[in-house]
Amino acid sequence: MRYLARRLAHAALLLIGVSIFSFALLQLAPGDYFSQLALNPQISAHTVAGLRAEYGLDQPLVVRYAAWLRAILEGDFGVSLAYNSAVGPLLALRARNTILLTGTAMLLSWLLALPLGIWSAARRGTWGDRLGGFFISTLLTIPDLVLFLLLLLLAVRSGWFPTGSMVSGNFDELTTWNKVRDVLAHLILPAFGLALAALPPLVRHVRSAMMEALDAPFIRAARAHGIRERRVLLRYALPVAANPLISLFGFSIAGMLSASLLVEVILSWPGIGPLLVESILAKDVYVVIGTVMLSAVFLITGNLIADLMLFASDPRVRIE
Amino acid sequence: MRRSQLSARVLVLFAALAFARLEAVAIPVSAAQATEEKMVTADFTGRAGGTLRVALRSEPKTLNPVLAVDEPSREVIRCLTADLIHINRGSLKTEPALAKSWTASRDGKQYTLQLRRGLKFSDGQPFTADDVVFSFQVYLDEKIDSPQRDLLVVGGKPITVQKIDDYSVRFEMAQPYAAAERLFDGIAILPRHLLEASYRGGSFSKSWNLSMDPQQFAGLGAFRLKEHVPGQRVVLERNPFYWKADRAGNRLPYLNEVTFTFVASEDAQVIRFQSGEADVLTRFSSENFAVLQKEQGTRGYHLDDLGPGLEYNFLFFNLNDLGSKGVPEIAKKQSWFQDVRFRQAASAAIDRDGIVRLVYSGRATPIWTQVAPGNKLWIDPSIAHPARSLDRAHELLKSAGFSWDSEGTLVDPKGVTVEFSILTSSSNTQRMKIATIIQDDLSQLGMKVQVVPLEFRAMVDRLQSTYNYEAAVMGLVSGDADPTSEMNVWLSSGETHLWHPNQEKPATPWEAEMDRLMQLQLVTLDYEKRKKLYDRVQEIVAENLPVICIVSPNILVGAGNRVGNFHPAILVPYALWNIEQLTIQ
Amino acid sequence: MLSHRRKLECAACLLAAVYVVVLTAGFFAPYSFATQNREAAFEPPTAIHFRDAQGNLYAHPFVYAADGRSEANARYPIHFFVRGAEYRLAGFRSQLHLFGVEAPGEVHLMGTDGYGRDQFSRFLYGGQISLLAGLLATLLSLSIAVVLGGFAGFYGGGIDELLMRGGELFLALPWLYLLFAVRAALPLHISQAQVFLLLVSVMGLIGWARPARLIRGVVLSAKQRNFVIAARGFGASDFYLLRRHVLPQAYGVILTQMTLLIPQYVLAEVTLSFLGLGVGEPMASWGTLLASLQQYYVLSSYWWMFLPALLLIPLFLVFYAAADALQEIQKSVPL
Repeated sequence: MRYLARRLAHAALLLIGVSIFSFALLQLAPGDYFSQLALNPQISAHTVAGLRAEYGLDQPLVVRYAAWLRAILEGDFGVSLAYNSAVGPLLALRARNTILLTGTAMLLSWLLALPLGIWSAARRGTWGDRLGGFFISTLLTIPDLVLFLLLLLLAVRSGWFPTGSMVSGNFDELTTWNKVRDVLAHLILPAFGLALAALPPLVRHVRSAMMEALDAPFIRAARAHGIRERRVLLRYALPVAANPLISLFGFSIAGMLSASLLVEVILSWPGIGPLLVESILAKDVYVVIGTVMLSAVFLITGNLIADLMLFASDPRVRIE
Repeated sequence: MRRSQLSARVLVLFAALAFARLEAVAIPVSAAQATEEKMVTADFTGRAGGTLRVALRSEPKTLNPVLAVDEPSREVIRCLTADLIHINRGSLKTEPALAKSWTASRDGKQYTLQLRRGLKFSDGQPFTADDVVFSFQVYLDEKIDSPQRDLLVVGGKPITVQKIDDYSVRFEMAQPYAAAERLFDGIAILPRHLLEASYRGGSFSKSWNLSMDPQQFAGLGAFRLKEHVPGQRVVLERNPFYWKADRAGNRLPYLNEVTFTFVASEDAQVIRFQSGEADVLTRFSSENFAVLQKEQGTRGYHLDDLGPGLEYNFLFFNLNDLGSKGVPEIAKKQSWFQDVRFRQAASAAIDRDGIVRLVYSGRATPIWTQVAPGNKLWIDPSIAHPARSLDRAHELLKSAGFSWDSEGTLVDPKGVTVEFSILTSSSNTQRMKIATIIQDDLSQLGMKVQVVPLEFRAMVDRLQSTYNYEAAVMGLVSGDADPTSEMNVWLSSGETHLWHPNQEKPATPWEAEMDRLMQLQLVTLDYEKRKKLYDRVQEIVAENLPVICIVSPNILVGAGNRVGNFHPAILVPYALWNIEQLTIQ
Repeated sequence: MLSHRRKLECAACLLAAVYVVVLTAGFFAPYSFATQNREAAFEPPTAIHFRDAQGNLYAHPFVYAADGRSEANARYPIHFFVRGAEYRLAGFRSQLHLFGVEAPGEVHLMGTDGYGRDQFSRFLYGGQISLLAGLLATLLSLSIAVVLGGFAGFYGGGIDELLMRGGELFLALPWLYLLFAVRAALPLHISQAQVFLLLVSVMGLIGWARPARLIRGVVLSAKQRNFVIAARGFGASDFYLLRRHVLPQAYGVILTQMTLLIPQYVLAEVTLSFLGLGVGEPMASWGTLLASLQQYYVLSSYWWMFLPALLLIPLFLVFYAAADALQEIQKSVPL
């Protein structure tokens, strides 16, 4: 319990650090949301200055940060300059979609990586293992961008998948069951792409962790006792290999998030990725900061979950 | 559950049909509803029903017409609202809208508008002169900072509006204004009964954002808001009180619904359209046009190249008075930029035809002045179109005292190597390509040119506030065919007088002449006289090259074959301007 | 089956060869990276023939000129060691190219881009920037990682906690912003290549957190080994211990990380280009070549624009093979 409290305190400190840095970085890049209006021949500088003042962009950074921090404590994430509305609800919906996508992709990638990794560790050195290794390495060398673009091309050319978005236009008229099917149809391509992009490091780690576990003397003993290979792998070796994999799980959440930005933008998934890119380009400050904070929260939660799982599975950690 | 929904829909459909039938047979419109003065549009009919699907480049930011600046928001708002006098996108001329007629006073300063009687907002509440007065009060309020406000300031003073009776209003301007009727286009009339409270309460800027309840929204447009799902779609439904009818007396619009979805990029829009998930496509590149063209026969859509529009792309040099502004390295180079022969040499070296071919696959027109060839009413046909000539460019540079060193690098009379950078927005691929080609062209004159792509807002910061740049490639899209929409660009005191904004008095004789001409055309009411004045402005630009105009891209549109009455135009919004007449077959 | 050492040697030789070819790109590339041929935008790879339309065989390979630029069916043989566009190599000027054809014939092994520039030449020149950028960013990341990870692992406790939490902070930051900010704040006169290397260095500076974690782990286990504890017992200073006993144990990990990070940074460049922060025109880099695919018309219409991506796959495979071999060698060396 004390452990958990300490971790939460760390997390809070980290979030404050992230927010301070984000504010400072935002200040560094020249121009602001309203700069774009300045080039419109039909809008006067006076109007632009007025808008800046209204949203407090003319205030010094420290003042703005203090105001933002105060608002956060009251559960208010600031106002989006572009959307003219509160950032909180805007983010909540996008976050839900991103969690749906990355969660599915996470599940998919581990479902693929575990059997592949175990299988190739068990058949170490065989042609099958090497072929698998080659395939995985090749996958690793394909840039995410190219991978996602190829999937997009596949969708357009084949017509088997929707080419983006999360639901069809007539979503409201569908029955509950068809709604689920509709979302799944839209989910499959981005989730699959994301899972493929995350796969190579996972498989490699599973394989090496399993190999290490299989080298342990007690496995050799188990084999010598004539225990079936399948049982040796799953019942004896896998639990030993679990520890490094659990910490990997925490890390893979972070990787997943950064890759999801690309896939969301390319396949028009309404998650926080497109919102982040859009708001960065538009310099919609509070949306950027909100999005960054949200990804930091995801990251921290991922690590925390991994640590807690480790805590539960390995009694040695508890002593520390 | 399903069955009940289905039957409900059938019922609605039936009701709609019955309603249409009733109106079709109906007795003259005026007899049926004595007080409602509908606008009967020209010669077309169509079948009612159907949903139009549009993919927008990004999510609309607000539905508040007073505050919207981004194009997706405006696209949606145009379907939801109406203005008093409208510019017909087909003819580029003004036509009656909510005002059925108007008269101007002899001196051109006063306009009296007669409003249509018996009209209703989309929530069923009546429309009167009070709504008009309220709307203009909001647009003109300095505290609201509406981007439209500056359009309504004529001769330095905001126009005033006065209610005469329930169905007539009078507008007054400080000076005669040539394009007065065109002012009203795009000024959406607001429902006073819904917005007055928030306006008086000081929370107007928060009202009608996207998180509002659709019941709180009402307008005079062809559609009304049905729902908004953040990040995914905005759905509009037919406004049952819309004030236009077709020849047969059927109340418009024909469509039942319009669904706007949001995608992240132009390419995503193109893909949606190609796969049949969107019905209409505008603002896409000629390369994508070519991609779509390949499958035009097999997929159910058709494409249109409307020819040149109102956009013009140009190169310009920093001609600001930098003496006091502290950018010494750039100030040193200004002796080149200020020499008109240097600018003429650059213009002569630019391969406009190459740009048309490589950047726009031929779907663009080379230009030598700011009026794009699409603007038939205002273009000056006598402007020369000199072909690209490196020889002429060399001669011009020589006559200005430049020379070339042993490596072929251009040096100025003082022996300084000619070296400068061209800014461009990194998010605009076309302009990036133009800049890259110009760089190559100018390097053939021995100039060492560097293209610096910057994120758009960072570029604007340099152009408009720090003046820390040497040259830039940019483009402007005239909001209207009329030159008054560009006053701020050509007046030397203008804030978007790009090469040298906010001058206290004109820095050069030709800028002084341009100021005089622009001011004069603004108050001249006769088109022929105005045209002569503006022709002269075009000549000045072509001779002095404060901006070196390069190319005007064609307007490209696409529509699904199931969309009927589709008549795209070269003025924004290109495709959906007649959305009340569109049908789905 | 090759031994791991053998495998490593092979991989190292291949990589060295790639570096040599890329560094002397001017010789191997038939054209300059910037030469535009505005009549030949988006041309597919030039077909190289040994047999003409009449079925005559030739010992010398030749190409046909594109339609309309010369008389029909004129043959342009490919010559080796020809004179062509001037380039600089290590300060010397040269016009010698490995191969080329006489104008108006043209040879584009990988086709041309939207300006009619030779993709093959751009690929070779692009390698100069990309490999340099990858190396630079990797060195920066690793040197910070070694210092911070080493300290954290060696001293443990508060410093450890601080540095590792700091690492998390770095992972969470909107570094994109930093890059935009750096780009916008730079003076206009820095050359495109310099701007780009600077941006990549910033990426390298930010990317220390992950390798630092790994190095910390190695140092943590190394410092508990008996001989280190013994040396400490003899009164060795911390610095001596770190330099002499602990860090050498991390060499393997550092080297492995290096072979893994270089391709990663080359690929990260693709994302930079995706956001418009890639190397500016007319320079080329592998990242910008790949990122041009993001435009739908390129993706769907010009298959040869995929060739750079295809060529990078075997190259990166060699990098990863080297990393694998290194890892295996570390395991088999008794500590």
